[in-house]
Amino acid sequence: MTKLFADVAAVPDSRGEIVGLWARRAVLTIFAAIAVLGLLDVFGQGTTRTAASTPAAVVRVSAPAAVRGGLFFQSRVDIRARRAIAHPRLVLDEGWIEGMQVNSIEPSPVGEASRDGRLVLSYDGLKAGERLVVWLEFEVNPTNTGHRSYGLELDDADTRIAAIHRHITIFP
Amino acid sequence: MDVVLRTIFVFFLILVITRAVGRRELSSLEPFDLILLVVIGDLVQQGVTQSDYSLTGATMVIVTVAVLTVLTAWLSFRFRRLRPLLEGDPVILVANGRILERNLRRQRMTVDELGAEARLAQIGSLEDVRYAVLETSGRISFVTATS
Repeated sequence: MTKLFADVAAVPDSRGEIVGLWARRAVLTIFAAIAVLGLLDVFGQGTTRTAASTPAAVVRVSAPAAVRGGLFFQSRVDIRARRAIAHPRLVLDEGWIEGMQVNSIEPSPVGEASRDGRLVLSYDGLKAGERLVVWLEFEVNPTNTGHRSYGLELDDADTRIAAIHRHITIFP
Repeated sequence: MDVVLRTIFVFFLILVITRAVGRRELSSLEPFDLILLVVIGDLVQQGVTQSDYSLTGATMVIVTVAVLTVLTAWLSFRFRRLRPLLEGDPVILVANGRILERNLRRQRMTVDELGAEARLAQIGSLEDVRYAVLETSGRISFVTATS
C-alpha cells in the first residue's frame, strides 16, 4: 500500500464519521421540512379567504396571506349589499399598496383618494341585493419584505359598514 | 406551494429525459449539446421560478432538488428493481474479444466511436480488448486481454 492510501486508512475516526453522518441527516431533514412547509403554503402564495357580515353588506376578501418578491398575485373583494349603499367606498390598508406594483384594478373605481394614508376607492351606488366584485392584480417588488396590515373597510361615504382585518407577509 | 410542485415535476421530467436520451449523448458533450444544455437550463428556470425573484423561492427550489436527489439515490440503493429505471444498467459492448453489434446499435454507437474511446483509454487496437462495458455514467470501461 502506498503512503497516500496508508494515510487514508489510518484516519478512521468512528466518532467523527458518526457525527458527520448525523449532521448530514439533520441538514437533509431540515431541507425536507422546508419543502413540506412550501407545499403547505407557509411561504406563499396560496389564497386565504376572510369575510365580514353586517346588516348592510357581506364583504369577502380572497388574497394570499404570504407572498414572495417578484410574484404576481390577485386579490378579490366581493361585496353583496343587503341594503342600498349610495356611495360605496373601499378603504384599503397601506399593506395593499406598499412595495406593490398595481397592475390593474377591475372594475376601475370612479374615484380615488387618500384617507390617513389609506387608499380609498369609490364606486357607483349599489341597490339592495346587488353584488360588486373588484379584482386587484399586483406584483411584489423584489425589494419589498415585511409583515403588513392587509385589511379593508367598506364605507357608505364616510360611514363604516364592514371591516376586515388581515395581514400579509412578504418573504425576501 | 406551486413552486415546490413545479420543481418536483421538472425534476422527474429531466430524469425521464436523461434516461430517454441515453447516456452516451449526455456523457460526450459536443459544443452543440453543451449549448442545448444551457438553453434547457434557462427554460427550466423560467418554468420553475417564473417571476419569483425571492431568496425564499430559490431556497425552496434548491432544497427540493436536494431532497429529491437524495430520495432517488436512496430508492435506487434500497430497491434493486428500481435501479435500471433510475440509473440504468451497464451495457456490455465487447465480450470475450467479440464486438456485440446489437448492443452498439441500441446505444447508437459505431465501431469507430468505440475505437476512439479505446484510444482514449491508451488501447492501440480493439483486438486487444477483452471486455468493454458502457457504464451507467456514460463512460466506457475496458478490460484488455493482458490485464
